[in-house]
Amino acid sequence: MNPGVYETVAQWIPEKSRVLDLGTGDGTFLERLIQTRHVTGEGVEKDAELVGRCVQRGLVVHQGDIAEGLDQHADGTFDFVLLLGTFQELIQPAEIIHEAFRVGRQVVIAFDNFAHYRVRLQILIKGRTPITPSLPAQWYRTRNLHFLSVADFESFCQESGIRETRRAFFNIRGAIHFFPNLRAEAAVSLLQADSQQTLRKPA
Amino acid sequence: MADPQSSTFQGDLQDQKVAGYQSVLGVTHTQIATLPGFCTQSGHQFDQVDVAYQTLGALSPARDNAILVCHGLSGTAHVAGTDPQTGRPGWWDYHVGPGKAIDTDKFFVIGTNTLGGCNGTTGPSSIDPRTGKPYGMSFPPITVRDMATAQAKLMDHLGIEKLFAVVGASMGGMQALTWATEMPERVRVCVPIATCTAHNAMQIAFNEIGRRAIITDPNWNSGNYSENSLPAHGLAVARMVGHVTYLSEVAMAKKFGRRRQPIAEDPDQFSVESYLHHQGEAFVKRFDPNSYLYLTRAIDAFDLFQNAAPEEVLRRVHSRFLVVSFSSDWLYPPVQSRELVRLLKRSGIAATYINLEADYGHDSFLIHNPPFANVLKHFLAGEYAPNHEPRLAHLAPA
Repeated sequence: MNPGVYETVAQWIPEKSRVLDLGTGDGTFLERLIQTRHVTGEGVEKDAELVGRCVQRGLVVHQGDIAEGLDQHADGTFDFVLLLGTFQELIQPAEIIHEAFRVGRQVVIAFDNFAHYRVRLQILIKGRTPITPSLPAQWYRTRNLHFLSVADFESFCQESGIRETRRAFFNIRGAIHFFPNLRAEAAVSLLQADSQQTLRKPA
Repeated sequence: MADPQSSTFQGDLQDQKVAGYQSVLGVTHTQIATLPGFCTQSGHQFDQVDVAYQTLGALSPARDNAILVCHGLSGTAHVAGTDPQTGRPGWWDYHVGPGKAIDTDKFFVIGTNTLGGCNGTTGPSSIDPRTGKPYGMSFPPITVRDMATAQAKLMDHLGIEKLFAVVGASMGGMQALTWATEMPERVRVCVPIATCTAHNAMQIAFNEIGRRAIITDPNWNSGNYSENSLPAHGLAVARMVGHVTYLSEVAMAKKFGRRRQPIAEDPDQFSVESYLHHQGEAFVKRFDPNSYLYLTRAIDAFDLFQNAAPEEVLRRVHSRFLVVSFSSDWLYPPVQSRELVRLLKRSGIAATYINLEADYGHDSFLIHNPPFANVLKHFLAGEYAPNHEPRLAHLAPA
């Protein structure tokens, strides 16, 4: 993901929060949160080799997929549940968000914006599935299952009963403040729900 | 990991002669401590118990670096180093030694033979002080908790109030879990490997086949056999069944395939048959049939949460966990480890879980297995380093 995403999330998370990082990779970011924000936290990662690298960093980590990683935990165990860059790979994103709000009070989601102008142009002019710095894989190789835009995510949240309390957008040069749906390559949102019960499944 | 033992070593050290393998520890010795007795869960009062044990490495001045290694069903106290009698390396020599996963340069490692066993610790083949004869089937029924109690008596004897870690696989994993729940203040880190909180029907079924083979051997004689007339046939069959469950289809296909190993009596003999015969015969020379009955009964009866809600039992736990399973282990399948981890986490216990891709089945923890060794080594190192304490504070539900 865009480095600005990690920078921003590190600022959003208050000191000593409890954090669950879903799709934690080799644990670089989780370790950074522990060191700079003094959070207590753990990761969930599918790949055994990456899990091994998390262990090497001294992190608490669970090898499994994201749904299982969430299911492991009691209600309200965490202040923040992070889904940075894995959201568009989920088979059932709405269900995962629902479960994330059971386990955590707030949820942070970062995703690649599929309505970035470069993406639009490639589809419009070349008529090909776009390949951009933030969407580098060919259609037959990408792990992304869902292609969503900033605008899509906004309406998804509204329909789900989720409030986006903070948002930030980035392209390769840095933060974007205007026309994010057109200009942002990556988006990150801090989400809140009044309660897990008020969450709705979008139609 | 810098490991001078090349990855060409195949198989486990417990049941096979691995060509060219030499323990870097040299000869290590096992000793026997006669310890104060205790009352078993079944109500039998041992006036004293013998526990065979081995120590490797040095206890730190703060006495905070002791690791108890708990063996599986047929292991011994001889964890690592060359056995002076047999000349063979210890059963976990791949993973215990200087610079290895359980680093004897850093940790004080204690191996013990389990209560009910037959390699120095009090068991059915020991002499009953009341009769002057071997206990045989008059040995009291024992439990995994009794095994842990005997280990705790040894820790008292060695002056170790708190273990840095209890590490155990299979039956040893059950002992590790028992330590964490029954003596929580004595364990900092718990590492259950390829184990479960209670046997399922299939696990009990395989053990029952083994037991049945032993007790239907005419030489068993209600457990009153002599050394010259052991129920060797029954024990060998029990071991053969056991061995199949410890391996995997892939491992057996790789190792034996449909290769033949003809002998005079059976020109069509398959290699796998020959292997199992050999394993059965070798086992008879080193294991007591009655011990096999008592230990398998104990692990079948084991239920970490017997008559209690898991959260009640786990509430007392202070340890942090590393739980390991192996993808091809069908005897203790990963799903059992995952369920354990779920219960631990739902009780607010910090637990790291890894399911390692290994095609050697249940015995994957016994073989030369660098990914496994790496995870174990780094986990223990990370947990031991005092500067890791604040960043890995205990997670508790809100």
